[in-house]
Amino acid sequence: MQLKGEMSMLNVLHIQDTDVNKVCSTLEQKRDEAPQFFMQSPLVIDGSELSGNALDLDFSALKEGLLELGFIPVGVRNFPEAANKLIRASGWAIMRAQQAPSNTADTKSEPVEEKAVQAEAKSENTNPATQTIGMNSAMTVDRPVRSGQQIYAANADMTVLAPTSAGSEIMADGSIHIYGALRGRVLAGAQGNENARIYCQSLQAELVAIAGRYQLFDELDTNLKGKPAMIRLEGEKLIVEAL
Amino acid sequence: MSKVIVVTSGKGGVGKTTSSAAFAAGLAAKGFKTAVIDFDVGLRNLDLIMGVERRVVYDFVNVINGEATLKQALIKDKRVDNLYILPASQTRDKDALNTEGVESVINELKEDGFDYIVCDSPAGIEKGAFMALYFADEAIVVTNPEVSSVRDSDRILGILQSRSKVAEEGGTVKEHLLITRYSPERVEGGDMLSMEDIQDILSIPLIGVIPESGSVLQASNSGNPVIMDKESQAGQAYTDVVARFLGEDVPLRFVNPEEKKGFFKKLFG
Ligand SMILES: Nc1ncnc2c1ncn2[C@@H]1O[C@H](COP(=O)(O)OP(=O)(O)OP(=O)(O)O)[C@@H](O)[C@H]1O
Ligand SMILES: [Mg+2]
Repeated sequence: MQLKGEMSMLNVLHIQDTDVNKVCSTLEQKRDEAPQFFMQSPLVIDGSELSGNALDLDFSALKEGLLELGFIPVGVRNFPEAANKLIRASGWAIMRAQQAPSNTADTKSEPVEEKAVQAEAKSENTNPATQTIGMNSAMTVDRPVRSGQQIYAANADMTVLAPTSAGSEIMADGSIHIYGALRGRVLAGAQGNENARIYCQSLQAELVAIAGRYQLFDELDTNLKGKPAMIRLEGEKLIVEAL
Repeated sequence: MSKVIVVTSGKGGVGKTTSSAAFAAGLAAKGFKTAVIDFDVGLRNLDLIMGVERRVVYDFVNVINGEATLKQALIKDKRVDNLYILPASQTRDKDALNTEGVESVINELKEDGFDYIVCDSPAGIEKGAFMALYFADEAIVVTNPEVSSVRDSDRILGILQSRSKVAEEGGTVKEHLLITRYSPERVEGGDMLSMEDIQDILSIPLIGVIPESGSVLQASNSGNPVIMDKESQAGQAYTDVVARFLGEDVPLRFVNPEEKKGFFKKLFG
């Protein structure tokens, strides 16, 4: 098993084993080697090196296990299509790689931004009736996003007209606008779009990320906490500006 | 039209059963035919709080399993007309509940002309809590003024609006925030979250604030829903909750620190 930081800083975990307990305990060791780096870090699971049958993998348990370890499970890629139903049922996003899965990916860097994405709007916890993807591929969320909920706008911007709670997660491939208080995690440019931005009325986010560069609330270098703010990426740095 | 109302919280011990008993008794006292169902299978205590524990013969699980009819299991309250209690089983676990069984019981209550069906949810977000909320039209979310309780309420609201039957069919479960065990003095002292803080975080309409009060324990020890204690502040606050639920505009009481009454005020005030 290898854990690699890739260009977008969305870490990709290549798993070889279908035993979730084994995967999690190995990952726990890795995490403990560099907790600052891995804590709360968004993680993509890559199945291209999987030796067992993907259908034997308990994707729900994997997700729970990762959350327990303090990671943010984002999506999976390079699993056989037969597993897609299972994967979606467990609330994962499916990210499709553009090139054929490579077997010996040890040294190769695979920037996530280059992937064509067929991510599915996911989330068992979210009522699809509240979100609509319109002509301009923007998702509108008009109800509070509660603790434990995840909403993902695939290939779209997201507008949230209500507050997001601590313990919630909103993610979009494009930009994200939040008109209620932003208290949960927010990840814009989830597939690596570095021009994506985050706009909010009250910045209290637990974590903000653009194209995989992320910061915890406490690390945010800004006096705009609790205030209207815009967050964008400049080089590798997240810049917080008044709105 | 009958309405199903779940009393839920996520977190344990916040006052769901106390509130279910008071709320159901209050609705019945207003003339509505009301049933209150204990979904806390394995830990039943609604019957205790309602003072009917010695009259339990059959329970919710017996009805679901076809071992008793609903009529046999429903306990008619002796103090309040129109009030019926469906107790939980003490000997089973929560897996004894299933959607079809719960649905058939609820439907039968509806057919029997019940105006309100109050579901007392167990703590947690597992099966029992899920069963209690699945058929709800409205939810009373019971929250204590502390961070962990608020967080759990937030979580349960998310589940309510995504996994309940109404939500699955594209609708919305009507939400009510009920803050219980509120101590204005401790809020002022900064030990507890204020009702404004809680509302700000959960952003759902407030239906009432029940003060922390010794009369609640007294009431449950004597098996009388606290709403029947007209002297107690908690009882009066629950009366207000029922009135608000029925559409009356009633101002909040007992939410500010009590004035320490001086000698003269006591005499003349
Ligand atoms: N307003 C109040 N003032 C003082 N004590 C209270 C108040 N409300 C509830 N309590 C006490 O809190 C305890 C828990 O109450 P209750 O059983 O109603 O909670 P619950 O949410 O149903 O618990 P569970 O999750 O175990 O089902 C009881 O001892 C009760 O007397
Ligand atoms: Mg209870």
